[in-house]
Amino acid sequence: MKNYDLITPEGTRDLLFEECIIRRGVENVLTGIFSGRGYTEMITSGLEFYDVFSLNSRYFPQENLYKLTDTKGRLIVIRPDSTMPIARVIATRLRDAVLPLRLYYRQNVYRTGPLLKGRSDEIMQAGIELVGSDSEMADLEVISTAVESLKSLDMEFSIELGHIGIFKELVSRLDVSRREREKIRRLIENKDFPALNDYLDTFGRTPVTDALKRLPALFGGEEVFDRAEELIPDDSLNIRRILSYMREIYSVASEFCGEGGNISVDLGIVNKTDYYTGIVFKGYLEGHGDEVVSGGRYDGLIAEFGYDVPAVGFAVNIDAISKVIEKNGILPALPRIDAIVFAREGFEADAFRKAQELREQGLVVETALSGDIDSVREYARERKIARIVIAGEEM
Amino acid sequence: MNRPVRIALTKGRLEKDTVDLLEKIGFDCTAVREKGRRLILPVPDGNLEAVLAKANDVITYVEHGVCDMGVVGKDTIMEMKGKFFELVDLGFGRCKFALATKKGNDFYSGYGIKTIATKYPNVARSFFEKKGMDTEIIKIEGSVELAPLLGLADGIVDIVETGTTLRENGLEVIENVADISARLIVNTVSLKMRQAEIERLVKLIESNIN
Repeated sequence: MKNYDLITPEGTRDLLFEECIIRRGVENVLTGIFSGRGYTEMITSGLEFYDVFSLNSRYFPQENLYKLTDTKGRLIVIRPDSTMPIARVIATRLRDAVLPLRLYYRQNVYRTGPLLKGRSDEIMQAGIELVGSDSEMADLEVISTAVESLKSLDMEFSIELGHIGIFKELVSRLDVSRREREKIRRLIENKDFPALNDYLDTFGRTPVTDALKRLPALFGGEEVFDRAEELIPDDSLNIRRILSYMREIYSVASEFCGEGGNISVDLGIVNKTDYYTGIVFKGYLEGHGDEVVSGGRYDGLIAEFGYDVPAVGFAVNIDAISKVIEKNGILPALPRIDAIVFAREGFEADAFRKAQELREQGLVVETALSGDIDSVREYARERKIARIVIAGEEM
Repeated sequence: MNRPVRIALTKGRLEKDTVDLLEKIGFDCTAVREKGRRLILPVPDGNLEAVLAKANDVITYVEHGVCDMGVVGKDTIMEMKGKFFELVDLGFGRCKFALATKKGNDFYSGYGIKTIATKYPNVARSFFEKKGMDTEIIKIEGSVELAPLLGLADGIVDIVETGTTLRENGLEVIENVADISARLIVNTVSLKMRQAEIERLVKLIESNIN
């Protein structure tokens, strides 16, 4: 039998030294931002019943979940996402809590990715959920927290805003089956213009199909709103309302974003259309080929667990950010050992006392484990420890 | 940020067609034409860099964002899937996916499970899945036409250009699966972070095709 006792499973890895410092550093900065805004941490169970995710099975396809059975034969998954478990808790234990609730999390999620694609199956995410308000201020608070999160990394970033309502409104005016609707959605998501045009032509040419064809091209800066106004059918009051709402969000977000970052718009963001109900956004970092922040408003999700309450939130991919930091070569210094304390025979207690004294002065101090002073000198030279203190000499 | 926009080209015929297109736009592709064994080549006046790769790898590099754009066949896209924007149908590299069997064979008769030989297992599987047909798919690396001739498979799903190979081996197309042509794909983040440069290039390409 082949033994796999020297490696970790596909899609996972051990983190060492600088990698840990970088990752914990990013985690701490982000959770500092969240808690500074009144969000409190929540840790959900690492194992969940499959049923929690089967409600939204389209977004958690079973082939992407790590599954096992419990002792009663029930299907268990290793947490693939944090928002669904949090929605479950809100609908149960937090049902009587005073709203709004501000929650944050920092935990791993697990999804089986395609093999040999260089993707992780174990992803550290931090994120927030703002529960109990459907106000503009709630959307702005969450977006500003996302902006602040990326800004704190000191790299070029972009936050991109969209609104799921535009697609939903347009497609609802088309006489299409669920499957056809999904195909249109996928073509828009992939900005697959040639196929989208051909496919929509089969529904005849109307102001609605024209608008849907142009939807994936509606991305960029503020001018996108003007282009959108021209494109949408004249009687779409709902979409006009959404556009003017987006303009407001955009201008406030741009104002607090300031230099270093960029707020943009993509009205063709149509991912997870059954999950999101309003504003959606993504965050990008220069140097990473996929989004590092993903969020939006999901007013219907908690209701699926039996408690109808609006919510908005986002998740940050901490692993992706850490990799960008490593790639950019901004490596943190490992803690330097300032001194090593050597104990002459019979002076062991003195050695620990001395080491503690030095630590109280703010130094990082090791105790020598060898009884041979020459080998300790050699070790100190190798590890570049400048100072050797010998307990029992000057005491 | 200031590195040139990187475009990954599928080595071989699509590479040649793309270079023709870039030259038609007015870019100097001398380095790509005289590449020798180099794999990353400058296209100076366009602030472009061409990367030469196998079809599947074009998708991998674009997905990860180490190349901003790529030129790859729809066949590879259908087989590999992946997350990227598929912006333009470049119009060249046209052919099709087809289902073929031995001439005179009634493929759909009977209730037995059919065996399909193909280089494109995902394409074949999803084609028959849509028909609600359970099939056994066998992956073949070389000439797929051999499998039905040797009695390994009832049919093949493969790329057909002229159909000559099929005819000469006593096979015939019984159904089209999908039309294929070269596509311009773009990394989802690059399109946003380098929107102006990439949009300019896409416009130039669009106005110089067909």
